[in-house]
Amino acid sequence: MTAMSDVTVLLLTFFMLTSTFLSKEPATVITPPSVSTEKVQETNWVQVLVNPEGKVWLSMNNDTSKNWSNEKMRMALLDKVSEIYNETHKNKVSFTPEQKYTFSKLGTFGVPLAQMGEFLNLANLQEGQTQMDKWLDGSDGNPSHVTGIPVSWNNNEATPNEFQMWMKAMRQTDNETLAKAIKDGSGVAIKADQNTAFDVIHMVMDNLQTIHMNKFTLLTALKGAEE
Amino acid sequence: MAEVQQNEGGKGKNHQKKMTIRVDFTPMVDMNMLLITFFMLCTTMIKSQTLTIALPSNEKVDNVENMSQASADDAVTIILDAKRKVGSFDVDTVNGQVVPVVYYYFGKPGGDAGLGTTPESVAANNNLQESEFLANDEKSGKARGIRDIIQKRNKEVLEKINELKKKYENGGFGDLETKEGREKAQEAYNKAASEVRNDANLKKPVIIIKSTPQASYGSLVSVLDEMQINSISKYQIDNMTKADSTMVIDYQNRHHK
Repeated sequence: MTAMSDVTVLLLTFFMLTSTFLSKEPATVITPPSVSTEKVQETNWVQVLVNPEGKVWLSMNNDTSKNWSNEKMRMALLDKVSEIYNETHKNKVSFTPEQKYTFSKLGTFGVPLAQMGEFLNLANLQEGQTQMDKWLDGSDGNPSHVTGIPVSWNNNEATPNEFQMWMKAMRQTDNETLAKAIKDGSGVAIKADQNTAFDVIHMVMDNLQTIHMNKFTLLTALKGAEE
Repeated sequence: MAEVQQNEGGKGKNHQKKMTIRVDFTPMVDMNMLLITFFMLCTTMIKSQTLTIALPSNEKVDNVENMSQASADDAVTIILDAKRKVGSFDVDTVNGQVVPVVYYYFGKPGGDAGLGTTPESVAANNNLQESEFLANDEKSGKARGIRDIIQKRNKEVLEKINELKKKYENGGFGDLETKEGREKAQEAYNKAASEVRNDANLKKPVIIIKSTPQASYGSLVSVLDEMQINSISKYQIDNMTKADSTMVIDYQNRHHK
C-alpha cells in the first residue's frame, strides 16, 4: 500500500505541475482540421472566439512572467477601450476601481460596453461568477442582457464598431510585445466552429482588415499527416 | 503497511510493552486517485494548431493600373459552397455537418466568349465545374478531386519540389543522422523549396479563392490546406463577383434538380 500511495502522490504532483486549465468559454466550438503543424504561441496572443451566430468574445494570453501580466494588461485594455469608445459616443462609459479589478480577473469577456458596468457589478453578488458565466453563454434568461461584443460589417475606420474598438485598444496599450505580435500576425487568432458559415467569418476578417490587421492566424485541429 | 514501533517507557516497572501503530493508507490513496482523475480531466495536453493567413488591405486602390492582374491563362478561380437541399438553396447537412462543395473555373468567367446577358448564353458559356475535397487515393497514392486539378496546373513547380524532397531524403542537404544535421538540412530544404515556389521562370497558377456566404469555415481551411500541400505561392481570398454568382446559380439550376 505504501508503494501505491507513493505512485499516486507522484502522479498527482506531475499533473498539478504540468496542467493548464481549460478555460470556460461562452461557446463550444470544434475547430476545423488542417494539415498545418504550426503550434499556437504560448503567450502574447489574443483569441477571437466566434460562434456560428456571429457573436464574438475575446480573451488574452499574456506573458505572465514579464511586466505585462494578464491582470495588468486587462486593466490597461479597459482604460484604453473606454477612451476610444468615449471619443465617438455621447453616452460615456467609465469604470470604478472595483469594476476594473473585476475585469482584470475575467477570462473570456464580451458584452456591449454600455452594459459592461452592470455586468461587472454582478461580481459583488453571491454566486456572481456563475451569474456572469450565465450572462456570457446566454443562459441567464434575461433578454436585456446582451452577450457578445457588438460587431457588424464596417468599412469605415473612422467609425469603428465595438469589436474594432477592442482590437484597436489591444494594439494601443503600452504593451509593446503584444502590439508587435499583432503586427506580425501571430498575435490574433480566430477560433470558430468548422460549420460556421463563411459569411460570419468573412465579416470578422473584414472588420480586422478595416483596422489594418491584415495578418492573423486561424486556430485549427491537427489532421492526420497527409502528403 | 506503515508501521511504527514504539518502545514505551524505559522506566516502566512491570508492564514493558511493545505498541504498534498501524496507519491505514486506503483513504489517502482513494483521495489521491480522485485528485488525479480531476486533474487528468481538467487539463489540456494538446495545443491547438494554427494557420497563418495574410489578407490584402481593405483600402481602395486609386490607381487601378497599379493592381497586379493575373493573366487569364494562369488564373484558377475556386468557389466554395455548401451542399444545398434538392430543389432549393437551403444548406443541407449530414449528421449536423455542412457538406462542402467546391466549384472551379479557369480563366475568365464564361471563357473567352464571356457570359453574355441572356439565360441561354449563360448556360452555353458557363465554364464552371464541380469537384470535391478528397484525400489521396489510399492504394495508388494519386491525388483526387480538387487537389488533382491544382496539381495538374502546378506541375512544373511540383516536379522541382519532388526532386528537392528526394535530394533531402538522400542526404543531399546534409546529414540526416544527427539532430543538428537534420535541422540544417531542413532549413536548407525549406529555403530551396521556397525559391522554387517563387521562381518566375516556372509556369504556375494564380488561385483566387471565393466563397458563397453559405459555405462553411471548415472548407475555407481545407482549401488553404490544399494551397500548402500543392506548394501554391500565389493565392488570394476575394469576394464573389456578379458573374461568379450567376454561374453558380445557373450550375445549380441545371444540375441539382
